[in-house]
Amino acid sequence: MSEIAHQDHIEKKAFLVNSSSLKDVRVFCREVFEKLHIQEDLKDELVLAIAEAAQNIVKHAFKNSASPTELMVVQISCENNKLQIAFYDRGTPVDPKKVKHREIDNVKPGGLGTFFIQEIMDAVEFKDGKKPWINHLVLTKQL
Amino acid sequence: MTYKVEELNNISIVHLNGEIDMDVADKARQTILPLIESGKSVQVNLSKVDYMDSSGISVLIEGKQLAEKKSTKFELIEVSKPVEKVLSMARKFL
Repeated sequence: MSEIAHQDHIEKKAFLVNSSSLKDVRVFCREVFEKLHIQEDLKDELVLAIAEAAQNIVKHAFKNSASPTELMVVQISCENNKLQIAFYDRGTPVDPKKVKHREIDNVKPGGLGTFFIQEIMDAVEFKDGKKPWINHLVLTKQL
Repeated sequence: MTYKVEELNNISIVHLNGEIDMDVADKARQTILPLIESGKSVQVNLSKVDYMDSSGISVLIEGKQLAEKKSTKFELIEVSKPVEKVLSMARKFL
């Protein structure tokens, strides 16, 4: 846990649902974390977790075939040193029971993203998306 | 992401440069795997890779597994700090 008191802050941005947007998602996160004065090592981990979650939206919620104008929203908020990152999308509804990283002895490509997210964040929660959204994922981390 | 392939003493050295994410992982895959498939020893130089996500790690796992199947060498060299960090998290799977 950080000893720095991070300023309360909220910021959100919409991105096209495609793999080319992942770099923009990372740039957005880095900019927000700069404002929050989050230390470099933690910033890198958080950016990875967020990019993996955004990747899961592109890859799984939309199965790499979202319409060219489809959007996902990433919202980063910090309140009382608790960081919350919310994702909103209109893809296939996610069944939280089916979202788990693969077993450690199952060495094969893919499926690492969820493992990284769970390793880095304190909590991963799927909430009901309110219209127009279908999926609402919330990642939290105490700073 | 950009890349350069160098041949040195029967080893193909693939120099990757930039950020390796889902958007460019296929490009990395199509660069590395055919070299291994052809039976060459392959080294992947990661000194200039400043970001790698699970898609990039997957390419490295595929390379390692294909090299085992082909009985060739597959090595990561000059691993940058950001990549080392992600690899250390993924090491449980490697």
